[in-house]
Parts: sequence; structure tokens; C-alpha cells
Amino acid sequence: MSARPPRPRAFRLDDSRVAVDDQPAPMIPEAIVRSQHDPIPSAAPQPIDEAELEIEAAQKSGLIARSGFTFAGLVWTGLGGLLSLGLGLWATDLIEGLFAKAESLGIVGVLFGLVFLAGVIGVAARETIAVARQTRIAEMHMAFAAARAADDRGAARRLVSRLVGLYRNRPETARARAEVEEAARAIIDGRDLIDVAERALLRPLDEKAQAEIAAAARRVSLVTAISPRAILDVVFVAAQIIRLVRRIAEVYGGRPGLLGLVKLARSIGAHIAITGGMAVGDSVLQQLVGHGIASRISARMGEGVLNGMLTTRVGLSALAVCRPMPFSVDKPPGVSDVAPFLFTKGEEKARG
Amino acid sequence: MSGFSDLVFEAGLVARSIGDYFSGAALRLGVTGLSRAGKTVFLTALINNLIAGARLPVLAASAEGRIVRARLEPQPDDAVPRFAYEEHLKSLSGPDRRWPASTSRIAQLRLTIEFESASGWGARRSGLTVDIVDYPGEWLLDLPLLDKTYAEWSRETLAASQTPARAPLAAAWRAALDGLDPHAHADEEAARRVAELFTAYLKRARDDVYALSTLPPGRFLMPGDLAGSPALTFAPIPLGDDPTIPSGSLAAMMERRYEAYKSHVARPFFRDHFARLDRQIVLVDTLSALNSGPAALKDLENALTEVMRAFRAGRSSFLASIFHPRIDRILFAATKADHLHHRSHDRLEAILRALTTKAIARAEGVGAEIDVIALAAIRATREAEIRTGGETLDAIIGVPEKGETIGGQVFDGVAEAAVFPGELPASPESIFKGDAIALPEADNDWRFVRFRPPLTQPGEPAPQIRLDRALQFLIGDRLA
Repeated sequence: MSARPPRPRAFRLDDSRVAVDDQPAPMIPEAIVRSQHDPIPSAAPQPIDEAELEIEAAQKSGLIARSGFTFAGLVWTGLGGLLSLGLGLWATDLIEGLFAKAESLGIVGVLFGLVFLAGVIGVAARETIAVARQTRIAEMHMAFAAARAADDRGAARRLVSRLVGLYRNRPETARARAEVEEAARAIIDGRDLIDVAERALLRPLDEKAQAEIAAAARRVSLVTAISPRAILDVVFVAAQIIRLVRRIAEVYGGRPGLLGLVKLARSIGAHIAITGGMAVGDSVLQQLVGHGIASRISARMGEGVLNGMLTTRVGLSALAVCRPMPFSVDKPPGVSDVAPFLFTKGEEKARG
Repeated sequence: MSGFSDLVFEAGLVARSIGDYFSGAALRLGVTGLSRAGKTVFLTALINNLIAGARLPVLAASAEGRIVRARLEPQPDDAVPRFAYEEHLKSLSGPDRRWPASTSRIAQLRLTIEFESASGWGARRSGLTVDIVDYPGEWLLDLPLLDKTYAEWSRETLAASQTPARAPLAAAWRAALDGLDPHAHADEEAARRVAELFTAYLKRARDDVYALSTLPPGRFLMPGDLAGSPALTFAPIPLGDDPTIPSGSLAAMMERRYEAYKSHVARPFFRDHFARLDRQIVLVDTLSALNSGPAALKDLENALTEVMRAFRAGRSSFLASIFHPRIDRILFAATKADHLHHRSHDRLEAILRALTTKAIARAEGVGAEIDVIALAAIRATREAEIRTGGETLDAIIGVPEKGETIGGQVFDGVAEAAVFPGELPASPESIFKGDAIALPEADNDWRFVRFRPPLTQPGEPAPQIRLDRALQFLIGDRLA
């Protein structure tokens, strides 16, 4: 026979033998009562949907890629080492030469060298922090998906407080943060709590990110339509896309530097490749029809629409991998939700 | 036998449904619960939270700030009293706060929620009208009677009264039956005496100590305006194996009264309030049955299964919503979840799921959506941890009602106490083992004491547990 579970019992809070929270208590209390604030768990895990798995796969191939041993890595390491040695040799030679010419010139050279070194250290530190931040956001995204699927109250509370911390220095989220923190203290199940946080904190950010995408797509399609040389729009589109990716990462609390941007680009590329160039909710037909109508009006206009679509598509992938949380309350936006003007008729577009 | 009257009944329902549909469809929310399940408190809290514009984070429309306001409408039905929302609210607040007395008659209220729709093109102001009915939970027990003849009901009731759990309670009534000849000439005095003893048995079985649930007919427990009427002066009597009932006999009189009860009491109640529901919440007082023992739990399961059989669940469609409304979402809620630490809530939900397995299977089979939650419409406790004698216990702090006892401690209704109610079993099946009823505290592994309502700030709704989740499930899609 197993041991009996603990017996039901009660302790009056005004009993002098009971210690309650921070009130004065006897030396050896019979019982110690501590108040808690804690929400609730629940059953029935929900499967993580496919779109979310695709985003996670994309994140794994860029933002949170584990660096293992590769031959290419060996090549780059060797080359990098040789180049640094060469640079070092060149710098020592230079400074020795300067000292040989005049001592004061040598000192100035050394000073410049130190300034350069400090700058390099600063940049490296910033890059490291930026990459770590971006990686943290991607990890948070996955953890949110897992916590939501398992309806895990403890994990949800931890993650939500980390999310609130992420946006601590954004004054415009003050009210949303207060709301979410209050919900985290109440008795709300894990999944519901995550939904509350998504509604309150991420919705305004989603709108901002989508507005960025729309603006970039509009600029790209317009410039492509009127630019005189093909090479010009290639440069312009590339510049716009880089700027857009950076802006989206910033909207969601990331701060990608150069290295971070490279990692982000790899994730975005992976996401586009996995989802087959189609955003969730868009159909091939829609894109072809949209292109068809526009191209009938003018070939350049058609190219403009196509470039705009490309920009939107990259923007949406960037949004998916930069968002610190999977889409669950809201549907992930599609190309036509973000940039509906690409699908309207040419005349309207020319006006807008 | 009564094929024609059934047909007329159904035709009447269809006519009313069509009328409802074209006179502006209100959402009919059926709040179902046996007596003391907490219907009145649930309704009061629901109205209070919506009217006061309380923050309900899990209700999407409220979290998104799309609810403009909610207001009470004039009483839709002139023949039915208004739900005394203001009085219930008053009794729940103030220094001498107490739970509303048990409901003795039917009452109704119409609530309109004004909100802006987020779906479709642009923001659109709309209103959702919710019809709410409060009634004595005992009357719900009449619904299963609609499909039973007097002979069937007599047989079942007599068989039930012989189970070990009920036999001691029914002894006096059964002793009176022994000297009774069903074929004797109808004698009003004999009928009255048997009916009185039968009523006494039902009332006793409902006592908190026993907490039995399957006790039809409902008006015997809560007569409402029918007290003393001949429609309530009948009782099951043993009819023997002979199916014919000679006219003029005692049995014939009993049968006539039983049929009259069905057609004048049970059927109108069902027709007016339950035949046309869109959504349903089933409130279950699991904790009282747990306090009493396995027999009370089995009885509760039986009562819930029987009652749920009377409702029309199924996937809703456009045509069905006009002619034959079906309940497309059913929420089973274990009330008084604040009497437990939240770490035990999933076990409470598992127990409720086990209690309603049959009802759930039936409703899911026809396509209705089901959810099971632990709910406290008004949260009377806060949570705490007790460390004593090397043990750490998950407890709740509140003011237990006067006269409640636990572990030798008797409460005065004033002092706050940290209560550890015991641990619910990890496997819900184990609670059904055995035939025990009215278990003394020492033999049970748990003990749930009743708490007084919480002190609240004037004008602010009392805290709740998962009321918002319940609302999201029940009406969230209509507020989209």
C-alpha cells in the first residue's frame, strides 16, 4: 500500500503560531504561509503548423546556425590568418619606416595604429552583440512556438517577460507592456497568455513592418518602371531590399550589423527556397495574373510589378524570421495583403 | 403512443424558430447546471464583467478593445420575471457579502454587446444580443422524464432507491409502499402520504452531506409556484409485472398525474427555454460530489448524461439556424475552481472530462465543438504555499463560511485561513471506485470548504478564473 497523500487541513491566518508572508512571526512557527501569484496549466498539446516549421528551419539555417567543421571553413580560416599576418607585417614595416624617417612621425603612426585597433575592437563588439541579439530573438520565436503547442504556463510566463524586456526601451509600447505584465500575473493558461502578448505587443509592430514592406515595394516598382537603364534598377532594388531587411529587423527589436545581416540574409534565402517562392496565402495564379495584366499595359510597368513583388516577398520572409513569436492569433500576411496595389490595374497604379 | 402530440410539439418549435430568426436573431446562451452548480453567480459575474467593461484578456474582442459597451435590454418576455441582477450583485458585495440564495423560479434577461467588427471591410459597428435564462437547477432533472412513461419511471426510480447508497435514505418511503396495493381504489389520502414520503427522500438525498444528483421530478425539490398542487401529488409505486393499469385505481391516478406533470410542467419548461439554444455552458459542481464520495460522483455522471440527452447538439448550418437551431458549441465547466490551487486545475478538468465522457462523445459525434475547463466566475480566494512539518502544500487563502470544518478547525466566517484541500488523484478513474457516500472527512483524501464571496472595490467586478476563456469559446466567434 502506497503512502497516503497529505491530509486536507487549514491554518488560520490570525493564529499566532502561523507565520504569514512578511508579518512578524514566532521563532519556530508551526506553519509558514507564503502568498503566490501564478497562472494555470492545461492539457491537450496542439501541433505546430507547417508554415511555422518552415520558418524555424529557415532560422536554423542562418540566424542560429551551429558552426561545425567544414573544408570551406578551413580554407577561410587559413586565408584569414595569412591576410592578418600580412597586414601585421605591413603595419610593422610601415611604422618602422616612419621611425627611421623621424621619431615624431613614428609616434603619430603608432597613435593612428592604436585608434584603428580601438575602432576594430568596438566594431567587433558591436557586431557580436548584434548577432547575439538577433539569435536570441530567433530562439525566442522557437521557444514561443513550443510553449504554445504544449500550453506550458511556466515557459509562457518566462518568455512573455523576456519579450516585454526586449521592448523595454520603446516608449510607445508602454501600455501594451503593462497589459501583458498584468496578464502574466493573473490566472491565465500558457497558450492564452501567449495570445494576449501577441495581440497587445506584436500587432502594432506587425503593422509597422508591413508598412515598411509596402513602402519599399512601391518605391521599387515605381523606380523600375521609370528608370532608363536596367543596371540602375538592379542596384536600386538590391539597396532597397537590404534597407528593408534592416528596417524590419529593427522594428522587431533586432539590430543587425554587417555579420548579422549576412546571417539574416541566409535565413531569408532559406525561407524563400523552402516555401517555394510563394508567401503563405498567395497563389501562383494570382501572381501570374497580376503580372499578366500589368505587362499587357507596358513591359516596363510589368517589370516594375515583378520587382515590387520580389521586394514584398523578401520583406515577408524577413518579417517571418525576425518576428520574436510565431503567428497564431493573426494569419501570416501574404503578398496581396501587404501590397495590394501591385495587383490592381495599371491605370490605378500609375495614379498611385 | 404520443406520436401526434410529439409532431405538434415539433411543429410548434419550428414555428418559434422561424419567428425568432426573422425577428432579429439573438444568441440564445443556455446556462445549464444542476442545483448549486453556480448558475446565478456565473450569470451575475458575466453581466457584471461585460457591463463594467472589465479587461478580459482572453476574450479577443475585449483584448483588442473592440467592445464599445454592453447594456441590459428591457425584458423580452412579459410573462417571465426579470433576472434580479442588481440584487444579486448587491448581495455579493458589501460587508455582509453572501452568495445568492438558491433560485426558486425562472428569470430572464437580455444583454446587448456593442462592438466593432474586425473582419470584413473596415470597422463596422454591430451588436450581439444574448438572451440569458436563470432557473432552479432542480427543474433540469425533469427533461429526461419527457421520454419516459410512468411505468418506466417507476421501475427506474424504485431500482435506484435500492442501491446501497440510497437504501437508508429511502427506507421510510419504501416501508409505506409495502402496505400499498396499486390496484386498490384511488385514495387521495394514501397518494398524498406516499408523495410526501417520496419528496422527503428526494430532499434528504440532495443534502450537502450526500450530494446526490439524479432526483427527478425537479418540482418536488423546488416546487416554485406549484407548491401543494395535485400535479405534485404522485410518486412511483411498484406496479408488478402486469402492464395494464385498471381505471379508477391508485396506479391510474398516479399515472394521470405523472402525465399531467409532464405536459403542464416539464414540457413547457423545455419548450420555452431549452429547445432553441445556440450555445450551451454546462456548469458542474464537481467539488460537492467529490466531498461526498464515489456514489455521489456516479450519480452526478448519470444525471448529466440523462440531462444532456434532451438537448439538440450538432453542427449549425444556415437552414438549420432558421428551422431547427442546434447547439454547435458546448462548454463543460467545473465551477468553484477557486477552491483549489491552480496546480490542481488540470486534474479537476480531467475528472470533469471523465464525468461527462458519454455526453461529450454524443455531442462530438454530431459535430458540436466541446471544451472542458475549470472555472470560477467569482474568485473568492488567492493562492499561497504552506510549509509545515517538512511538507510544502499548495494552498488557497480565503474566508471560509461560518460553520465549515476541516481538520478539526471550525470557522467563524470572519477569519481568513490558508486551506490545503488535499490532492486530487492523478488518474480520474480512481474516484469512481467504490460505493461510499457521505464519506466522513477522515476517510476522504480531500475536503473542499466553502468560502465567502471576496471583498471587492465598489464598481469593480470581482476577479475571476477563466471566465474570459469561457466567453471566448461561447461567443468569441460572434464578436469577431
